[in-house]
Amino acid sequence: MSPMAGSPDTHTRALPSAWTSLDSGPSMQETLDALEAYKKKDPSKVVVRFKAVGNAPIMKQNLYKITASNRFQAVIQFLRKELGWKAGDPLFTYINLAFAPAPDDTVANLYKSFATEGHLIVNYSTTAAWG
Amino acid sequence: MTTLARPVPSSAFSTSASTTLFRRLTWEGTVPLEIRVDSKELPANSDRGLECYYIQAPRVSYLPLLVPELKRFLMDVVFDEAAARVVKEEDWWFESEDGNLLKWHWPIGLIYDNHMITQSVRAAPSSSQQSMPLRLVLHLASPPTDRLLLSPSAEACKQAFMGQMKEADFIRWGSTKRMTGLRKAEQDGLWEGIREHNFDEYWRVASKVTPTAAPTRPQSPPPGNSMSLHSRPPSVDPNTGSAPDRDGAYNVRSVPVRIYLPEGPILQALVPPMLEDGNPHTLGQFLSTHLPLLFPPTPSDPPFQDTAYPLIQGVAAPHETEMAWLGACMAGADGWVNICVGLLRDR
Repeated sequence: MSPMAGSPDTHTRALPSAWTSLDSGPSMQETLDALEAYKKKDPSKVVVRFKAVGNAPIMKQNLYKITASNRFQAVIQFLRKELGWKAGDPLFTYINLAFAPAPDDTVANLYKSFATEGHLIVNYSTTAAWG
Repeated sequence: MTTLARPVPSSAFSTSASTTLFRRLTWEGTVPLEIRVDSKELPANSDRGLECYYIQAPRVSYLPLLVPELKRFLMDVVFDEAAARVVKEEDWWFESEDGNLLKWHWPIGLIYDNHMITQSVRAAPSSSQQSMPLRLVLHLASPPTDRLLLSPSAEACKQAFMGQMKEADFIRWGSTKRMTGLRKAEQDGLWEGIREHNFDEYWRVASKVTPTAAPTRPQSPPPGNSMSLHSRPPSVDPNTGSAPDRDGAYNVRSVPVRIYLPEGPILQALVPPMLEDGNPHTLGQFLSTHLPLLFPPTPSDPPFQDTAYPLIQGVAAPHETEMAWLGACMAGADGWVNICVGLLRDR
């Protein structure tokens, strides 16, 4: 196999005809407007339920409404603040006792795929649990 | 339900030749990178004519895995001895040429395709831009840790990779049993396979967690026939009387898929492999459901036309591609099918 195999060459190879039938399509501006519409942030909120694992302290209030367009990183930061964690204190977060999401994943995406009974369940631990 | 006789897959765990072929094509895919050290950060006495490094990097690899090779080059050729002693690769980080921070935990192929679709919004591609490497700037100090989200180490990247593998497993089956059922040595083998860019080492383990697109009809055209790239991939009808392929790509709950739009956002949705009408879920249907403004549901009726195209592992995939097949054959090493959506500009 040549070292170039599979390299992207969409600029040099014609797109399949299905993607290029552009005789009477909308204008570029309409397309850019469509793209902008998908960029609008979802203002809705979803319910996140925090659950301690192992020796992690239990939160008195563990249900919070969080803006869906937030990244999961914002959830981690919120949790650290609620727990009074200092920078460097270990905190591991998981969804559904199963996996650690990427910090740049949005709450909306996680909620859509993993919510249970209307809640996104976020487990937190002071040690790596399901790393 | 149907009485049509279909050949029975020989085993749920055997991987068909066509699946292996496409997995290998995906694995062997590379992208051209030009990595330039930020000229303001070059140590004194560096050899300034040589601060660029060119590499054809595997799509399934990650930036932290390029650092050892890059470091060797800089130490041997660019830095003088005094500089080589003080340089700390823990402080290294990458930006694109136009100043966008590059994610440590994104596969390199995704970084490349994401750059391509961003370009598709900004300007019509001119012939001078054809097959140019993606230009990256390497910074040697002051990593913006708050925006990088992860510490720039291969170990942190490995942890993020494992998290993505498990999330994909959960999406497919509703649990991470397949991933957690792997021995520690097997889990490490997945990452080693990526680090060494060793197809066999990676797939020896990955085939235990990744569903296979087992054919239920005679084998697709032999490799080497370019038409096979455009033919409809073999599919499995779960309603046939033949032995159900419980681990098959068409029996997962959902295919792990993310859509990347130019300059964000990233969309994730549940993607059932089969639709309620019993037909396989195709890429065209998926895109027109989630991005109807860019992929109108009825593209045959003027004035509605597709105004965008989906790029998967650098390939502009046709409408009729089945989502389940993408999950089995065109996913990245982390199990995710990344669909980058670019705009068609030729009008």
